[in-house]
Amino acid sequence: MSDPSPSLHLRQRLRRGRDRLATALITAGGIGVVAALLAIGVFLVVEVLPLFWPAPADTGADVSWQALWLPQSYEGYDAPQHRWQPTVTSAEERPQYGMTPLVWGTLKAAAWALVIAVPLALGAAIHSALFMSRRLRSRIKPTLELMEALPGVVIGFIAGLVLAPWVERHLAGALAMVVLLPPGVLIAGWGWTRLPAPLRRGLPLGWAGLWLIPWLLVLVTAALALAPWLEAGWFGGDLRGWLETRLGLEYASRNAVIVGLAMGFAVMPSIYALAEDALSGVPASLAEGAQALGATRWQTLWQVMLPAASPGVFSAVMIGAGRAVGETMIVLMASGNAALMTLSPFDGMRSMAASIAIELPEAALGGTHYRLLLLAALALFVFTFLVNTLAEVVRVRLRRRYRRLGGAP
Amino acid sequence: MSVFPQPRTSSIGPILDVDREASCLEIEGLSLAYGDKPALRGLALRVPRHRVTAFIGPSGCGKSTLLRALNRLHDLNEEVRHEGRILLEGQDIHAPEVAVAELRRRVGMVFQVPNPFPMSIYDNVAFGLRLLGGMRRRQMDDVVEWALTSAALWHEVKDRLRASAWSLSGGQQQRLVIARTLAVRPEVLLLDEPASALDPISTLKIEELIRNLKSQLTLVLVTHNMQQAARVSDYTAFLQEGELVEYGPTDDLFTNPRLRRTENYITGRMA
Amino acid sequence: MMPRVLPRRRWGEGPWPWLAAGSVALSLLALGALLLLLAGRGLGHFWPAPVALVELENGHRLAGEAVKEEPPGEEASGTRGRERLYRTANRDLDAGSWTWVALEAIADVSHPSELVVLERRRWGDFIGRLVAVERDGRALGEGASAWPVLQARLDALQALRDEQARLRRESILPLAARLAAGPDAEASRELALANARRRALQAEADRDRLVLESVDGRRLEQPLAEVVRAWRPNAMSPLEKLAAWGQGVWRFLSEGPRAANTAGGVWPAIFGTVLMVLLMSVLVTPFGVLAAVYLNEVAHQGRLTRLVRIAVRNLAGVPSIVYGVFGLGVFVHGIGGSLDGWFFEEALPSPTFGTGGLLWASLTLALLTLPVVIVATEEGLARIPDHQREGALALGATRLEMLARVVLPMAAPAMLTGVILAVARAAGEVAPLMLVGVAKLAPQVPVDGDFPFLHLDRKFMHLGYHIFDTAFHGGDVQAALPLVYATALLLVLVILVLNLTAIFLRHHLKVRHGALPRV
Repeated sequence: MSDPSPSLHLRQRLRRGRDRLATALITAGGIGVVAALLAIGVFLVVEVLPLFWPAPADTGADVSWQALWLPQSYEGYDAPQHRWQPTVTSAEERPQYGMTPLVWGTLKAAAWALVIAVPLALGAAIHSALFMSRRLRSRIKPTLELMEALPGVVIGFIAGLVLAPWVERHLAGALAMVVLLPPGVLIAGWGWTRLPAPLRRGLPLGWAGLWLIPWLLVLVTAALALAPWLEAGWFGGDLRGWLETRLGLEYASRNAVIVGLAMGFAVMPSIYALAEDALSGVPASLAEGAQALGATRWQTLWQVMLPAASPGVFSAVMIGAGRAVGETMIVLMASGNAALMTLSPFDGMRSMAASIAIELPEAALGGTHYRLLLLAALALFVFTFLVNTLAEVVRVRLRRRYRRLGGAP
Repeated sequence: MSVFPQPRTSSIGPILDVDREASCLEIEGLSLAYGDKPALRGLALRVPRHRVTAFIGPSGCGKSTLLRALNRLHDLNEEVRHEGRILLEGQDIHAPEVAVAELRRRVGMVFQVPNPFPMSIYDNVAFGLRLLGGMRRRQMDDVVEWALTSAALWHEVKDRLRASAWSLSGGQQQRLVIARTLAVRPEVLLLDEPASALDPISTLKIEELIRNLKSQLTLVLVTHNMQQAARVSDYTAFLQEGELVEYGPTDDLFTNPRLRRTENYITGRMA
Repeated sequence: MMPRVLPRRRWGEGPWPWLAAGSVALSLLALGALLLLLAGRGLGHFWPAPVALVELENGHRLAGEAVKEEPPGEEASGTRGRERLYRTANRDLDAGSWTWVALEAIADVSHPSELVVLERRRWGDFIGRLVAVERDGRALGEGASAWPVLQARLDALQALRDEQARLRRESILPLAARLAAGPDAEASRELALANARRRALQAEADRDRLVLESVDGRRLEQPLAEVVRAWRPNAMSPLEKLAAWGQGVWRFLSEGPRAANTAGGVWPAIFGTVLMVLLMSVLVTPFGVLAAVYLNEVAHQGRLTRLVRIAVRNLAGVPSIVYGVFGLGVFVHGIGGSLDGWFFEEALPSPTFGTGGLLWASLTLALLTLPVVIVATEEGLARIPDHQREGALALGATRLEMLARVVLPMAAPAMLTGVILAVARAAGEVAPLMLVGVAKLAPQVPVDGDFPFLHLDRKFMHLGYHIFDTAFHGGDVQAALPLVYATALLLVLVILVLNLTAIFLRHHLKVRHGALPRV
């Protein structure tokens, strides 16, 4: 057996050579791909640097770091202002490069999205991790995963062209819905405890995620029916007018709340998935220990599971925030894209991502405007990268902690 | 619990002595460390040809590490550092001119968990042959049949060679893995607790197979089951904390250990 | 101080779990409502809507399809009660094709079966009555007999159009190409002949005219050649409507857009999306798998590799628009600009590769989806037990042989899952495409019979961008809306199917690995 024939020997050497070549290729390719990915950050930094380095002569309007972020005085305005107006129509106008409104718009949109998404996502995560029947859960999780895959352009279209006009027309109805839904659900829960036992067994809490849907429909209908009364009784028959005169809030059709609703809908599934993983990953021994002492599942949740899973929940919210900050199409289609800096939830805004999408194709290559948009892209890149890294590190720590606690692998 | 293994009935044969045997593997001053954690310290050992040599010892004593060193599986782990030499038929297996793939063909290995590939039974056995290449279809059929017969599996699977290897039972899978290894005609077969994941009947079959195979090749067996070592091996090495404590013919070692540590271990009086 | 009576639990788990359950229900409801809205509006558009003949209190009459009812907008706050929107079409007669009617002002609504709807190449649809079909000024059919005659003439017209298309495809275009190559007397003679034949066919088509009448009695002469389709929705049986619906869906899928994207189909956008996604998968699969194999199988598993792995994972969370910016800066301006300078100098200053195009869009999306593929493949590789690798090595396999024969086949479903997820993500991304090569209307698809057949430098249409553009930059949004719904539905369906496939594969994968021998 030991004396291989020459052809076999040759074949051996061929195999060894091929293996070395393949290893080299894989190494080169792998490093190349990873480098190409990481090159994104490098590219952005390199392109942005000339803004702040001794500017080349051709960039005309120099911008200083202060000019970008502090209010500037402009012709025709008394007080210094934040303004973003990069394109000019006539020669005597000066383009206005205040980045603050864009940052403000980005954060405002993201904040409203989180206001909508976080309670919904955490509520859903808690329900499916603690209460939901196993069979339903194995269906709901992929369904919400599908929801995550809905393209932003479709959600943006629905938000901008369907939801925004509808809410504008049925402002009181929308308000009534917000007011009515939570107590309505609580009433359903209270009513459930009053049901005779057989009926209660037919409608278990584990399936409430499904059988509450018809009840929600009833509530929505009721809210719409009640809306005119509500409007007549409290808001002098015209909620929009009331908002304008009493609170001084002008209602723009495409506004922060609409963006928040749409983007909340888009971001909610990713927060849900991660938070659910964190909650259901809590070692069963912990929860069982608490329940053995007579705690209800809800008490167990607050006293044992949430403290244990809080890093995971935190990282879920961080990842949601990262997505909301960078989402382009929804903001572009549902926000009105006016670079305003107001607190009002009924004003529109312009986000950095939307600005890039609209303006970059028209910006002159290498000009100040171009580089500023790249600065915005760099900001988005750095922000999301940091947020995601933080979330990832927290998640890895959490997984290690669970393993120490002797829970699920 | 007194677990004095019964001496094998067949042990009334030629008196065994390592020094008189022709050695197949020679280990000279082998030390090995994972990072800065030493696993083997200055081991010296000769494995005789066409015999079954068992490595026993408490878990973590380095017996599996030693076994894996014998076909350079540690090459995969870059943290592992080693000193000393391992000679296979007189040649250092770490010598630059030795191709690791060829070495591993000559020194086959069977693992604790049966690991058939996700392909048919036939393809599993033919895997190594196809790597070598240059074999005709008819020839390959013959080798597959021979290997499966040697592994005492042929009669159980001859009608379903195209079935997935994962459809076999655990014991059959382990014998399939042995057949797969035999098919490339190794000179040494390393067995890393080959029966620890199997039921008693499958274990017996594997042990019988090991005894039958030693006429063809040299076997090295790692086991934590002392009865098994006593049942199948000719020589036994007892390792503790990475050191070779005692090495000799199995019957001597079990009935008449020279050292107190060995006796403590085989009688179950371990601290 | 033990309390004698423990507080009684009246709420079972208490009120809060119900709010949690409510958020599940609300999310599902929102998702369901969205999908139903898309499906209803998107598919409903192709169903032939009944045409109502509305008589108003003031004696006016109008005919149209009822679209929606709403409380009056601000500008019409004088009237109380609800208003109904009719699509009255007839843009050439009325200057607009939409009419709001206060419900109070309606005296009578009927659905006479003789009302026809014509889809025309100019001026949008016509809704009204068919008076006569004329040929060279002579009536072929009048009154009740006009409809069957119109049907026959439309069929004949279609034959003429097919003939013209064939002539153009088979004679005129090749001849023109020959002439462009150099002077060729025979070719120009043949071309003249073919053109004459085409003009004759056109003249034949132009002989037919329709006499139409709107419901308020205005007459209109309509050249038949401009009529695409004609139907009488009120006279159709449900089965006929179903057939018409099927044809409508098919035309939507197979035709190009007309009337500034507000009518017609989305075939170029489907084609562009699919082609771009295919190119992207061809680019992303090998590189993604290569990187994953490197990270998981070859690289030293130290701190650096762990950091790189986290970084790659996080790149999946970087906003797509940032990738778009990178694509624009590096691919389009950087590489594309250089390519133009080297190879396409004669075309400058108009750029060839130095502007957005199919290649750059695919590359950008490949980069964007690279982390998805890498992460999925790595997960698949990590799930393969080490003893499989050792088993292969112990038989004398080299690393390449181990990877190629054992590891990669076992990881194949995971890779496939990753690629499908990547495709699903890429199909829905619009923002980066706006920077690197999508077009509002690209009359030429990027594949044709001219060398090199696949034109990587061309701009292309994309379903997602089509939605954005038509909904937000179109002229008559109300008219385009149904098509936007249908396009959105199509996009969502494509993405849902892709994701379901990925979920199914992943499940299948788990089942298979669950069957790994664990004795």
